[in-house]
This record gives sequence, structure tokens and C-alpha cells, in this order.
Amino acid sequence: MTEDELRETIARQFGRSLHIRTLDTGSCAVCEQEIRLLAAPHYDLNRLGFFFTPAPRHADLLLVTGPMIRAFAVAARKTYDAMPGPKIVVAVGACALGGVYPDDPFTHGAVDAVLPVDVWIPGCPPSPLALLHGLGVAVGRLAEKVRDVPFTEEPYPERTRGDS
Amino acid sequence: MTAVEPKAVPGEVTTFQVASPHLEAVVRDLATELRLADMFAADGDTTTLRLVWANDTAGQAGYVITETPLETGVYPQLSDIAPAAFVEECEIYEQFGIRPATGKALNRVMLPPHAGLPPPGLPTLGHRPETEPEEARAAHTVGGQAFEFPFGPVRQVGVESLYYGLVTSGEEVVDLYLFTWHKHRGLEWRLQGTTPQQALFLAERTEGLSAVALGWAVAAAAEAATGTWVPEAAQRARAVALELERLYNHAAAMAALCQSTGLTVGQSAAEIALERLLRLNAQAFGHRYLFGVVAAGGVSRAPDADAIRALLPGAYGEFKRAADALLGTNSFLDRLEATGVLSAGQAKALGLVGPVARASGLAADARWVPGGPYGNETAVATGTAGDVLARFTVMLAEAAESVRLIGEFLDAGTAAGTADLPRTSGTGLGWAESPRGEALAWVELGRDGRITRARLRPASARNWRGFDDACRSQNVFTDIPIIEASFWLTVAGMAR
Amino acid sequence: MTLWFIRGLRRGVVTTRYPARPDASAASLPTPPTFRLQALTSQTADRLAETCPSGALRRDGSVLVYDVGRCTACGRCAAAAPHAVIRSGEFELATTDRSTLIKEIPVRGEGR
Repeated sequence: MTEDELRETIARQFGRSLHIRTLDTGSCAVCEQEIRLLAAPHYDLNRLGFFFTPAPRHADLLLVTGPMIRAFAVAARKTYDAMPGPKIVVAVGACALGGVYPDDPFTHGAVDAVLPVDVWIPGCPPSPLALLHGLGVAVGRLAEKVRDVPFTEEPYPERTRGDS
Repeated sequence: MTAVEPKAVPGEVTTFQVASPHLEAVVRDLATELRLADMFAADGDTTTLRLVWANDTAGQAGYVITETPLETGVYPQLSDIAPAAFVEECEIYEQFGIRPATGKALNRVMLPPHAGLPPPGLPTLGHRPETEPEEARAAHTVGGQAFEFPFGPVRQVGVESLYYGLVTSGEEVVDLYLFTWHKHRGLEWRLQGTTPQQALFLAERTEGLSAVALGWAVAAAAEAATGTWVPEAAQRARAVALELERLYNHAAAMAALCQSTGLTVGQSAAEIALERLLRLNAQAFGHRYLFGVVAAGGVSRAPDADAIRALLPGAYGEFKRAADALLGTNSFLDRLEATGVLSAGQAKALGLVGPVARASGLAADARWVPGGPYGNETAVATGTAGDVLARFTVMLAEAAESVRLIGEFLDAGTAAGTADLPRTSGTGLGWAESPRGEALAWVELGRDGRITRARLRPASARNWRGFDDACRSQNVFTDIPIIEASFWLTVAGMAR
Repeated sequence: MTLWFIRGLRRGVVTTRYPARPDASAASLPTPPTFRLQALTSQTADRLAETCPSGALRRDGSVLVYDVGRCTACGRCAAAAPHAVIRSGEFELATTDRSTLIKEIPVRGEGR
């Protein structure tokens, strides 16, 4: 499947109405607060066709926070397995993306160590605006930007051939 | 060892060495007048047991710390004298392998089951015990018909993972016990070897909703350990951040109360206030949740006073309108009254803190310990009924007081700035009144100025033990989320 | 209930138009840093890598490897080297490809 076909398929299956299940693998509780605010009047994710659901059987997208504490990994896997395909996994926040806690005896350090992640949303915490952007990217409705952001003030210098 | 009896000195933190044969008598004595705020151990040549006692007397508040080296690896059963010590006894067993003398059954509290397997297993702060805790649980029969079912850890939308064991005879809650070990990140272990400034990054993220309070407690502990004085303008900046933290948490608790009672209109109104307060935080201090404000020795940035003066009246206006409308909505109040009752005796025995304790009639507030930026003229809001409604009204009164305090601090002037912490060894206790109650931190610094032992005690680590009692007092299942919202704790703060 | 309804009508709509339109509140959000290549000397790069508490900055020979995904926008790198680090203002950082969050920032005076 080409990238465009994939995007189209995702938009067709999920673009109009998407049900979201949340999963906390060990966060500090602030990412959860920003996620709860998605349903609040200032952001109202329902107007975009996104809905929260407590039932994994009803969910299309798993919104995961926290650094995947090892003692929780089994519960995380069970939640993922309980969702029928097709499904999307979105990792939310620096902890879930590998920051803050490393791979060590307590934590895996990143959600993608245990679950197959489709979309990564950085932030500590990602604000509800960033979360809305991430959900839009997940359903193929919004464009990704970060690939083309160099995070340097000047353009990258030309590299001559032979540089490592 | 000393023959001097430990006594509270108003407005100060005093530390006493107590030899282990005298420990039981000392605890009996202190427990009559002081509140047992925390208990923890630290390794060294021998394992040392420390108890932190709080003197909550208005205008004279202070702390007493008793230190007891445990040469024999056993200590008296302190939870028989002070029930507030039980959870800490369990924790000390898991982390240090040391148990109270009577060998009473202990619960698993911090580490997951079989944390020792396969070796080396999870790192502990001391020497891991040989055997697993035996699990002390309340008897499960109510006329012989009770049954138990586990609930969680994955729960409803947008809340933290938490495992409850719910014991019921039908609708009524007979017992409720919590497991939080699936959120244990080993924070105290991670802080070993860090400098106080480095430690603040993780300390804030122990319980992000109390980032300022816990950051302040850790910074203050390091400042006490090194004898560093924080300039008053920086202290006031910290206080502004702490009060903003209190405001947004109380708005979030109000929204959660509305959600738990099914009042979506009220929930939306509270969420509007919450969002405006979070945006105010971003304008005032550069972060919606006030991360990175407290620094070791001071604050990293001063608040934008103009932004606060411009935005706070509107944001608090939303909060007050929502609160007033709720207090006039009988269907809402009916769900709150007489729900989740905690008596003053229960709150005292368990050493509870914060709005939960104050709503049960225990007037104590870590802000009024002399020496900080708060005066002690400010009234501490209390209630008497100890139910969800009392907790809600205490939070509303605190929010109004927070707005007044922010105005006062801004008028007196705030400034950024950090005093340098000298690189010396030492120990120190720090505290701050988080939105959930007193947050404590204690650090021991080595000669290189790095942490050898850090103790983090957010209010959640103390108050969850009251949740069981509150749910048990003639409540039904549908009351549990309401009671949980009125406590407004986090699992992260308990599990650390 | 009527009171709630009337108050709501009077307050008006607070819902953001994002993503159809930009939202002004984004301007005060903390965001991951942008680096000034001119000022990013080897010594500065090492200092930044040591300062980052989240593992987002790592020195690898002639580049500073910057994992935007691990960044918490805590500002410690900017405080350690204000001449080399500025605010990016970027908050729309979500991606379906984890590698797009990892930037190799050239260190000045190294391997050009």
C-alpha cells in the first residue's frame, strides 16, 4: 500500500468518528489532566468526531501515557489485546516517548518497548492543542510538521561528500 | 545516647537521637501531643529509623525528628501506639527488610509482588527482605455474605491506573483496599547521587499536580541541610506559584466532583474555570502546571505580576460563579451530604492532612509554620461534618484565601534568583502545603553536596489510607467516585 | 437548571477553532529548544548534553543528537547556554515516524 493509500484508508475507517481509550502506564498525573481537558468546553474533541469510551471493545485508538512501568506491562498488553482491530496506538508525553525515565529495572522507559506505537506526541505535558494535532495526525486529517522543522536558527551547513 | 526528652520547639525543626530501647516510650509520649507526619529508614553503618512529628498548634507549629539507629534490625510495634505508622512499617519492611518486633502481618505497599525475582530484581533502598509480606486484611464477612472483587488497574477514561480490592455484601462497601505498586517508579532510589537542583526535575514529576509543593519541599530540605537562606522576594514568588497550584487543583477537584455526580453542566463550568487558570499559569510562569519554577536556593523565574493581575479576577470569577451555582443546586448537594464521612478521631489516628483533615475538624496547615513567607494571621478553613460536602466547602474557602494571598505577595514584591547552595554534607527537612495537604521531604547530603538519601512524602502518600475508612462509612458503590474526587489525591504521589 | 443555561448563553462560546484556525494561547506554551549553530561549540554541546535531565541531548562526535520526543521543554539547556539556545515555539510535534523527532545538530568546528 502506498503512503497515500494508507492515509486514505485510515481517513475512511477512522476519519469521521473515532473512539478513544486512555491508558496510564505510570505517569505523574498531569498528562491525564490535559487529556481530560480534551472533552472540556475550551477544546471539545467531540466537535471533531472524537469520543472517549471506557470500553476497550468499542475503542479504535489507545492513548497511552507514562514510561511503561514493568510491573504494569501485562495490564497494558491485555488492554491492547482487548481492542479489536483495526486500532491505532498513540504514545503521549515525554515519559512515553523515552524521556525522563530510562530503560532500567523499574521502567521500560518508553511505551513502544511493549506496544506497537503508531503516533508519538511529545510534550511534558503535551497541551490539549498538541493532543488535538496528534489525534488529527493519527486519523490522517492533519499534516505532520516536525519532519521539516530543523530546530536550528540557521540552515544546516552543506556537508561535503566523505563526511561521517 | 541522650537523656533529654524530645520536645517540640515552636516554629522550629528539632532533631533528637533516641536509643532503640527508649523508642517505644518516646513514641507513646510524643503521640499524645504531636501528629506522626512520617516514618522512614535510611542505610548507613546501621539502618537508622526516623520519625517526623508535627506540632500543629496555631502560631507555634514546628517539627520534631527522632533518629534511632537499629542495631538489632528490629523495632517496637509502633503502629499499635500510632496507627498512622502502619503503612510506613510495611514500606520499611519492603525496602530495608526490617520489621516491627511483634511480627504482625504486613501488606505489600510499594513494590510489586515477587519484586525480588528473578535476582537481582528491583533495586531497594536497603537490604531486601527474605520473605514476601504476609498481607494483613480486614475480616471479610458481614453476616457471612460478603464477597470481594478486584477493580482496575485500568479504569475509566482519563484517570490514573489504580487497583482496588472492593469487598461488598451487595451495594454496601464493607472494605476497600488499594494497590499502587504498578505505578512505582522508584523515585527515592533515583534521587540518590543527584545534586539538589538535578533532583528537582524528578521531584516535581513525582506527583505533577503538586509540582510546586513537592519541589518546594525538596528545595527547602536541601536549603536546610546546607544552611542556605532564600531571599524573601524569591520565597514570595514560590508562594504565588503554590497558591496558583492550589487554585487550579481545587477547580479540577470541583470538575471531578461534578463528573462523579453526573452533573455535566457543572463539570463544564468548572472546566472553563480550570482552563482559564492553567492559561494564567502559562502566562505567569511559563508552564500550565508550574513545572520548573522552584529552583534549589530560590526560583528560576519571577511571576509576570501584570498578567496575573489582569487574568486572575476573570478566572477566579468563573470559579466562584460555578461554585455558587453548585451550592444552590440541591440535587448535587444531596449526593455530597453525609457521603464519605470521616470523623475527627479517624482523621487524627491516621495522621491525615490537608482539606480532608480540615473538613473533619483538624485545624492544621503547613503554611503557618513560622519562618516562611506566610504570616500566621490567616485563618485556616475547617469544617465539622467530615463528609464530601465539608471537603468541598473547605476547598472553596481555601480558593478565596489563595486569591487574597496572591494579591498580597505580588504587592509585597517577588523576584527571581537563586542563592548558591554550598557543597556540604548535612540533613534537612522541607515542607509545603500542597493542594492535597502537607508535602514533606527530607534529604541527606554527602560531602560532595549530592543526595545520599531523599525521602519524598507527598500528601497523597498519607491520605490514601483514609480513603478506605471514608468509603466504608455507610456508602454504596456509586459513592466511591464522589469520595475519590473529594479527596483529590493522585496514585503517582502514593506510588512514587 | 434554567440559571445554568442562561449563564452559559451569556458567557458565549469559549471553544477554540483549532485546528481550523490558530489558537492564541499557543504563544505562551513551553516548547522544545532551537539551537544557534554559530554558538554551538564543542564545549557548549558537551555542557548541554550533561545538563539535559531527560536524555534528549547526547553528544555523538561532530553532532549533538537532539531527540525532540524526549524533550520536556524544562528550559535547563537554555539557562545553561542562553547564547546557543532559543525558544522554537513549535508545539505541533506529533509524528507517525519516530525518527523524524531525532535531529542531528552540527557542532561548530567539527568535521565540516
